[in-house]
Amino acid sequence: MSLFWIFIHHLAEVQTMATSKKLITKQEWEKKLADVKVRKEEMNKLVMNFLVTEGYVEAAEKFRLESGTEPDIDLATITDRMAVKKAVQSGNVVDAIEKVNDLNPEILDTNPQLFFHLQQQRLIELIRDGKVEEALEFAQEELAPRGEENQSFLEELERTVALLAFEDVTNCPVRDLLDISQRLKTASEVNAAILTSQSHEKDPKLPSLLKMLVWAQNQLDEKATYPRINDLSTAALEDPAV
Amino acid sequence: MSEATSRNQSPATDLIGSYFLRLWHQNSKTLGLKPEELEEEEELPTALDTVKSSGGFSFVGPDKLSVSYPNVNLHGHDVGVVQANRPAPSKRFLYYFEICVKNAGAKGQIAIGFTTSAFTLKRQPGWEANSCGYHGDDGLLYHGHGKGDAFGPTYTTGDTVGGGINYATQEFFFTKNGVLVGSVHKDIKGSVFPTVSVHSQSEEVAVNFGKEDFVFDLEAYEAEERAKQQMKIDNISISQDASHGIVRSYLQHYGYQETLNLFDIAGQSTIPPISLVPENGSKEEDMMYALNQRNILRQLIRYGEIDDTFSRLHEWYPQIVQDDTSTVCILLHCQKFIELVRVGKLEEAILYGRNEFAKFKESSELDDLVKDCAALLAYEQPLKSSFGYLLQESHRELVADAVNAMILSTNPNVKDATFCMHSNLERLIRQISACVLEKRSLNGDHGEAFHLSKILKSIKKV
Repeated sequence: MSLFWIFIHHLAEVQTMATSKKLITKQEWEKKLADVKVRKEEMNKLVMNFLVTEGYVEAAEKFRLESGTEPDIDLATITDRMAVKKAVQSGNVVDAIEKVNDLNPEILDTNPQLFFHLQQQRLIELIRDGKVEEALEFAQEELAPRGEENQSFLEELERTVALLAFEDVTNCPVRDLLDISQRLKTASEVNAAILTSQSHEKDPKLPSLLKMLVWAQNQLDEKATYPRINDLSTAALEDPAV
Repeated sequence: MSEATSRNQSPATDLIGSYFLRLWHQNSKTLGLKPEELEEEEELPTALDTVKSSGGFSFVGPDKLSVSYPNVNLHGHDVGVVQANRPAPSKRFLYYFEICVKNAGAKGQIAIGFTTSAFTLKRQPGWEANSCGYHGDDGLLYHGHGKGDAFGPTYTTGDTVGGGINYATQEFFFTKNGVLVGSVHKDIKGSVFPTVSVHSQSEEVAVNFGKEDFVFDLEAYEAEERAKQQMKIDNISISQDASHGIVRSYLQHYGYQETLNLFDIAGQSTIPPISLVPENGSKEEDMMYALNQRNILRQLIRYGEIDDTFSRLHEWYPQIVQDDTSTVCILLHCQKFIELVRVGKLEEAILYGRNEFAKFKESSELDDLVKDCAALLAYEQPLKSSFGYLLQESHRELVADAVNAMILSTNPNVKDATFCMHSNLERLIRQISACVLEKRSLNGDHGEAFHLSKILKSIKKV
């Protein structure tokens, strides 16, 4: 095939693609939606999975009673996991490490990165509390040896120690380390590690289902114009834009 | 139905009633089945096709799983081509088959590939339009014309070569001795047949459509390809609180009131607190409509207290139970019967059934369901019978959901019956499924359907 014909062929294809987008009216689409089979127990399971993974232990317990849905994890373990998470979130890192080891000492033994991040968080809390000497001592004795083993740990350590060099930390380049989001980041890392140690997925299913909705709609957009759901919070069908 | 009652039945009520009857009907057929049994079965290629032949240039063995070239080849149109007896199934993620070269013969002009039903069975797969083939003698990939593209290694006697289709990426892929060789965009419309060809004396090939274990680790490949697709999905960003909002509206919709309260309290104490009081106040009001009453009735039904359910309904929502032959009343009467059977009060159940079932209007759908209830009496262990689904928790839940939807429909602000029937979560799930199915049907029926059960199955990882 000559280049010219390839070009013509390609052009024709582009044109048919542009014109052949199927239009599906709201009425037709609603019929398709009605044909989908959804099982209530499966939705219940999805909700239970969210409550359990996100650590809503009381709500999970009640949901089990109100809907008869069995959780996919021993609910007692959620309480322990949430206690660890809370400890990190409120800056009690020593307490959190102790609690993780009570749960399962293997979690920190097999996760050097997690252990380093917890120690780093501990250093951040010492600096936050203005315990400069203690912070330095801790950095040198506990963190520096780990930095020698791992280049990225070393960089993290240097970044953290830099906090000590500024008088006004609210205006320094590494101030984000003192932000609440740093605690949340460390807390969710511990949370995920505990879930993994319990053979449970670290993320709930529901958010990825919502992403799948966005993805599936984007995929269909290439082929058809149809009523979309643009607002996840209302799940309202919008009229197809023609 | 008297004139007075017929006036009271609004279209929304009818819709809701028939929706839950349909749901019951569906459950009666599918509840005993495992999720994988619900999937659409496509017939798989199992053997080589012996009806269509390439005029004496191929000889298919009696097991229909091997092909050889009996003659001395003369020219390019003397190819021995054999297709599988059925096209590659397409409503799935992947398809794959393998060949093993038993004898490379005089020239080793063996090819593996895919062709359409219109393919001329005297040409190598890949030489003609709408065909694709990986050739053994030169290792080239032929895709629609007589000139091949550099692709992979050659293959010969003793080698196992595989051909597959990845429907998610719309690609053909080929393997040699368990290693992926490469993939190429699949631009052929419609269904394609696994195809093998031989083209010189004594060439012999055995085909494996999956009866034997594949040399290539297909499961690992599938897992890898799925992970790639999942990564694309995971990279989409959504609002962080979206999931919380959906769970909350789910609890509101079905009247799981106590769970909702605890969920809200917990949301306030997380760091940072999640505030989900929606900006739109009237919407929130509709979501909370009759929450306490719906919760009480749900719990009564869940514990089998049908008499109490009736009396509460008469007190709170007389319009729902005014017509004793309305769908929701029928559901409750059937449930009362089922509860009597559950506790072994069979005589009482029979009396109750005779009294109540006779009132129901005739409709084939309803008849089947009433028959299912009555059939419970025939079994010493009704739970183990094929009507045992009626005694499961999920059936109580269905009746409770029907009553819940009916109460929601009494809210004067609500005009749309689907709002009463489906939670936001359910509407989102329906939308995903419909999008995936529609895209597939616009894509020549290529690809998987969406199954919530599959997503849930991976919850427990060991």
